[in-house]
Amino acid sequence: MKQNQDITRDRELLLGLAKGEDKSLEIIYSENFPVVLRMILQHNGSEDDAKDVFQEAIIVLYEKVQKNDFTLSSRLKTFLYSVCRHLWLKKVQRTYGLYTLSPELEEVIPATEELEEHYAKDQEFRIMEGAMSSIGQPCQTILEDYYLHKKSMQEIAEKFGYTNAENAKNQKYKCLMRLKKLFFDQYNTSI
Amino acid sequence: MKEDMILLRDIERYLEGEMSEQEKTAFDELRRTNPLINRQVEEHQLFLQHLGNYGQRQHLQAKLEKIHQQLDMPTLRKQAQDDNQAAKRLSIRRRTITNLAAAACIALVTSLSTIAVIQNVARNKSTAQYEDVRRVLNNIQRSQNALINDMNSKSKAPLNPGTYGGTGFAVSGNGYIVTNYHVVAGADSVYVQNNKGEAFKAVSVFEDISSDLAVLKIADSTFKSQPLPYALKPQSVKLGEEVFTMGFPRDEIVYGKGYISAKTGFNGDTTAYQVSIPVNPGNSGAPLLDSKGDVVGIVTGKQTTSDGIAFAVKSAHLKHLLDEMPKDKQIRKDLNHKSHLDGMNRVDQIKKLEDFVYMVKVYN
Repeated sequence: MKQNQDITRDRELLLGLAKGEDKSLEIIYSENFPVVLRMILQHNGSEDDAKDVFQEAIIVLYEKVQKNDFTLSSRLKTFLYSVCRHLWLKKVQRTYGLYTLSPELEEVIPATEELEEHYAKDQEFRIMEGAMSSIGQPCQTILEDYYLHKKSMQEIAEKFGYTNAENAKNQKYKCLMRLKKLFFDQYNTSI
Repeated sequence: MKEDMILLRDIERYLEGEMSEQEKTAFDELRRTNPLINRQVEEHQLFLQHLGNYGQRQHLQAKLEKIHQQLDMPTLRKQAQDDNQAAKRLSIRRRTITNLAAAACIALVTSLSTIAVIQNVARNKSTAQYEDVRRVLNNIQRSQNALINDMNSKSKAPLNPGTYGGTGFAVSGNGYIVTNYHVVAGADSVYVQNNKGEAFKAVSVFEDISSDLAVLKIADSTFKSQPLPYALKPQSVKLGEEVFTMGFPRDEIVYGKGYISAKTGFNGDTTAYQVSIPVNPGNSGAPLLDSKGDVVGIVTGKQTTSDGIAFAVKSAHLKHLLDEMPKDKQIRKDLNHKSHLDGMNRVDQIKKLEDFVYMVKVYN
């Protein structure tokens, strides 16, 4: 009974998360982080490791709820915990090789297939991030302002001191072409 | 370069729906006829999607970072450390208990099995060294029918020699005989036969397994009571005292002579003597008498590992046993008198005695 109630509450939180409500995100974060922190510390990780792993797990969760076909079958705490365990396992494997794994971590964690998709998306993100950081300023800011923060060309022109929006637009296209080239070079070789 | 930029601008305008109807139709046509351009459009769509994802995630990460900043890290840290320490303590304790339990189990099993093995070995050794001297009269198993026919057809004792044999001797004039328990153990019927060849049916009236003694009563009308010539010596005899025995290791009564070689029996049994005397299967239950003709013990068995070592239950124990028997007062009276054999030479003693020593035949 109690568990059912918990799941109902968790589902409401996820609904909020899908809509992008900051409050839901905050609740999920503050309620689940301590458990993960404890687990990571227990397995010889640092606080920063805990933060990274936990935030990645939240991203996984976010990606899932964005897709709409995600239904929570266990408690949210359980889901996040197992995802975090899995991520930490991967991280330890990457960093130290197989030797320092503690036996408790070696148990296979059921979240494997849930994470496959995430790893692909994560890679795309890294590629975009890399491309973005290498096109340099002011290209990066112009593109971010236009495509991500949805500012109008007029605003951007004013911000960067272009004489008119048309000039800014030309600049934007130049930047966009460079970004696209950088992105697809990486994207096509790695995927 | 310039053309690429124009194309890009067109694609973007097309995707964002900024083109006029006319332009759009023209562009659709272009897409249809020029696969290269079509690919560019699709690629751009994909790119915009990735860019959107990127932005979303960046936005989310920024939010997470903000939330993380608001957390009360010192408290969380302390809490986590405390919890972990408690968990570690608990798991160590649990592990210790498990190990201890396993060790205890192993110790228990080891000690128990050692005890079992040692006891088994000890018992094997004992039984290997000790041998009852009852006689196996006939190893061939007869059918029970033959046995029953035999018993029915004759009112007297059956002619067949019985399955097991031992020796017994009278402890009262009216037909009480002492023999070894192992002689009559598991018997269906017991017959006693004296040296003259007279057989009587007997029943076991009292048995004492611990001292390996049994008291039989002759239950036969043909038996005539007669006074006993010997007495039961209640004190224990001295080491080295000369003793003799009469028994039935064969169908004839056999005399044997020896001496008390130790005051305890097999494995330090204080209710018995060790006697250096020749005994053979069939001597079980034979009386052991001293030179005055008093009964000092009952032959029960011998040691297999060395020759000429026999064991006899002390007469004091027999007396004790007879005292314990509630039914019969005759026994006591008869054996309390003084021996009539004192001062006689051995040949005369034997002559007097042989009437009171019986062969015990057991059928089962």
